[in-house]
Amino acid sequence: MKKSFAGVCLFLLLVVALFSTVSAARVQVRISGWGGSDQPIIEEMLRLYVTPALEKEGITVLYEPIADDFQRYIVNALSANTAPDLFYMDIFWAQSLIQAGQVEPLDSYIAKSKLLKKEDFIPSLLDAFSHQGKVYGIPKDFNTLALFYNKDLFDLAGVAYPDEHDTWDTFARKLEAVSKLDGVYGLALQPEFARMGALAYAAGFKTFEQNGKSNLFHPGFKAALEWYTGLAKSRAGIMPADLGQSWGGGAFGTEEVAACIEGAWVIGHLKDQAPNLNYGATFLPKAPSTGKRGNLIFCVAWGMNKESKHKQAAFRVLEQLTSPEVQQWILERGLALPSRVALMDNPYFKQNDREAQANYIVFRGASEGNVEPFSFGEYGGRWMDPINEALRAIMSGELSVEEGLREAQFRLDQEMQR
Amino acid sequence: MLLLRRSIKEKTAPYVLLSPYLFMLFVFFGYAFLRCFYFSFTEYDLFAPPQWVGFKNYLNLIQDFQFGLALKNSLQFAVIVTTLQTVLALLLAVILNQKIKGIRFFRALYYMPSITSSAVVTLIFMWLFQKKGLVNYLLTSLKNGYRIIAVFFVLLLMFQAFLVIGEKLKKRPVSCFEPSYLFLSVVLSFMVTFFLVKTGIVTMVEGLPPVETVWLNTKKIWPRNHRLFGISYPLGSIMLLNIWTTAPTFMLLYLAGLQDIPKELYEAAAVDGATKVKTFWYVVRPQLRNITFLVVTMGLISTLQMFDQVAIIGDQAPLDAVITLAYYVYINAFPSSVSPKIGMASAAAVFLGLLTLIIVLIQRIVVNAGEGD
Repeated sequence: MKKSFAGVCLFLLLVVALFSTVSAARVQVRISGWGGSDQPIIEEMLRLYVTPALEKEGITVLYEPIADDFQRYIVNALSANTAPDLFYMDIFWAQSLIQAGQVEPLDSYIAKSKLLKKEDFIPSLLDAFSHQGKVYGIPKDFNTLALFYNKDLFDLAGVAYPDEHDTWDTFARKLEAVSKLDGVYGLALQPEFARMGALAYAAGFKTFEQNGKSNLFHPGFKAALEWYTGLAKSRAGIMPADLGQSWGGGAFGTEEVAACIEGAWVIGHLKDQAPNLNYGATFLPKAPSTGKRGNLIFCVAWGMNKESKHKQAAFRVLEQLTSPEVQQWILERGLALPSRVALMDNPYFKQNDREAQANYIVFRGASEGNVEPFSFGEYGGRWMDPINEALRAIMSGELSVEEGLREAQFRLDQEMQR
Repeated sequence: MLLLRRSIKEKTAPYVLLSPYLFMLFVFFGYAFLRCFYFSFTEYDLFAPPQWVGFKNYLNLIQDFQFGLALKNSLQFAVIVTTLQTVLALLLAVILNQKIKGIRFFRALYYMPSITSSAVVTLIFMWLFQKKGLVNYLLTSLKNGYRIIAVFFVLLLMFQAFLVIGEKLKKRPVSCFEPSYLFLSVVLSFMVTFFLVKTGIVTMVEGLPPVETVWLNTKKIWPRNHRLFGISYPLGSIMLLNIWTTAPTFMLLYLAGLQDIPKELYEAAAVDGATKVKTFWYVVRPQLRNITFLVVTMGLISTLQMFDQVAIIGDQAPLDAVITLAYYVYINAFPSSVSPKIGMASAAAVFLGLLTLIIVLIQRIVVNAGEGD
């Protein structure tokens, strides 16, 4: 009896020892991004590509979706040392984390890697995640703005579709004409620099001038502001909030507006909410003064935690997350635009399908005219606040363009002095 | 000796019993406060070690335009909401202190807003205050139907006057607001108005534009052009919401206070021939002095720290129009897309703490001075 008890004990001990050695060989890499629609996509991607590729090396990946404000989460997690090994970095705030020294520079890993090379990625995207010559993030996808229009409404009004030859003036006339339809407004005008800024860049506006200041009285900025807010005076344009919608895509989906300026994210929304909407996409209209287009680049990259305990394993995961196969899969599912240069000539873009065509326009938007990243240096989102407020106040008739500009410039100077 | 030991034991017992709470207080409040106070003299982004900068953060605060707005909004909010909710709570309590049937039901009903989640109530309020929301709908109806409403009230007045004068002619003692007559008048005038509307003699006003006041997404102020004293529309909406949700809590305190007033006082007042209003003013109000102090103090503290309703409505309204000091602290601690400015946030938090302390002290002095009369 005693003997068998000792035997059981020994056996148990052996089992425990065995398992502990196995688990020591296994490394779990925690990665984190937003919740919502990203969660099923990432989880499927992990199941299909990443997990099978890394199984032999004993690396497992755990996705931790954050439903709340992601930036706040990652700042807290990094300062409390509980952050995941890899995490999303939005172009909008990535530099604040990079400059605070919380993100691992990736150059030495890339130098040794067989799968991941700098030149495979679109340079302007990589630049946005670089600081003092070092790369801190590998872009996973990107977005720009395009003009989406409702073909049925333009047909009904007997107006030609907006096209790539349009300038602000010709486009405004088309909007004016289409808004003659009952219950239809022209363009959805979100009171945000994230839309209107693309037009300002088209007219030659620079976020920061040589002296590091921002001049909202720049003729290009003023012209864009006047054009954008001027549309709201007639039915050629309307703020989505006035239709009870929180964004342009929402109003576009309910066919209350004939056109909206959005990125590829609107495609998924339309697929869900308005599957029968017959839409087309084209480039943003050119500024008459410069004859150029402008655009904003929105981008999300994977960054590595500087305090990570499994940096090598995390980099292996990063290689897989941005591999050509994964990017191809993401593109073909119509989920997002890939950040790899090689995918530019992908047959997917040549399909005769409205989603593929819209994606192509958004993809090309990154190299048409004056394109700027959607980030505002050390000032962050607060740089835009005065401008957004001016847009809202002008379009709701509380201020004139001149008053709005003066107020915005005053508040912006205050903000930049802090 | 034994006696001494027992007395020591008895004296230390309360402190031992208090110690778990005191421990929590020191760790989560005392320590946090000291750290916050220290951070307010530093520049700190949660990552790099704090840099001592002296009074720079405080100087920046004074120069910051947005801080001025936050201070203005917070003071307006505290003064107006505390005053109105205290008055409302007292009125509700007096009404609900009557001995009528089903009073418990009404007490529960009036208490509902306080137990409903603040976040949910704020969302519902946001819908009510939309451009095409219920508030504007009711205002439009009121504007279009003013003739009908006027006819109803004129009829009501006539019927009531008729009934009361009839009784008075018969030399019977009757009040102008005799409830049974009032009820009869309401029913009668409602029926007549309904008949008039149905036959088309009295109609809605046609062709008036609907009320489309923007309540939330605006910086408009009332009264207009008073930049210092004007209340912005969205802040006014939040005030209404906040009064509605917190008044019932204070009503409960007043109700408890009212039930503590001995019946003899009311009886004595009645014997002396005091009217209801006089009884309230000279008997009830002084008896509730301590409760009022509690209600006003708690009201001031909670309104000065107003945060959640601003944070939720904030998406729909311009920040300048609704920003309060507590929200100012928050957006500096977690600004959009840049590193946290813990120094500025701490300085603003210390300022808010001191301001609250000073206002409550002033209120205490005012109350103490009032006690003399």
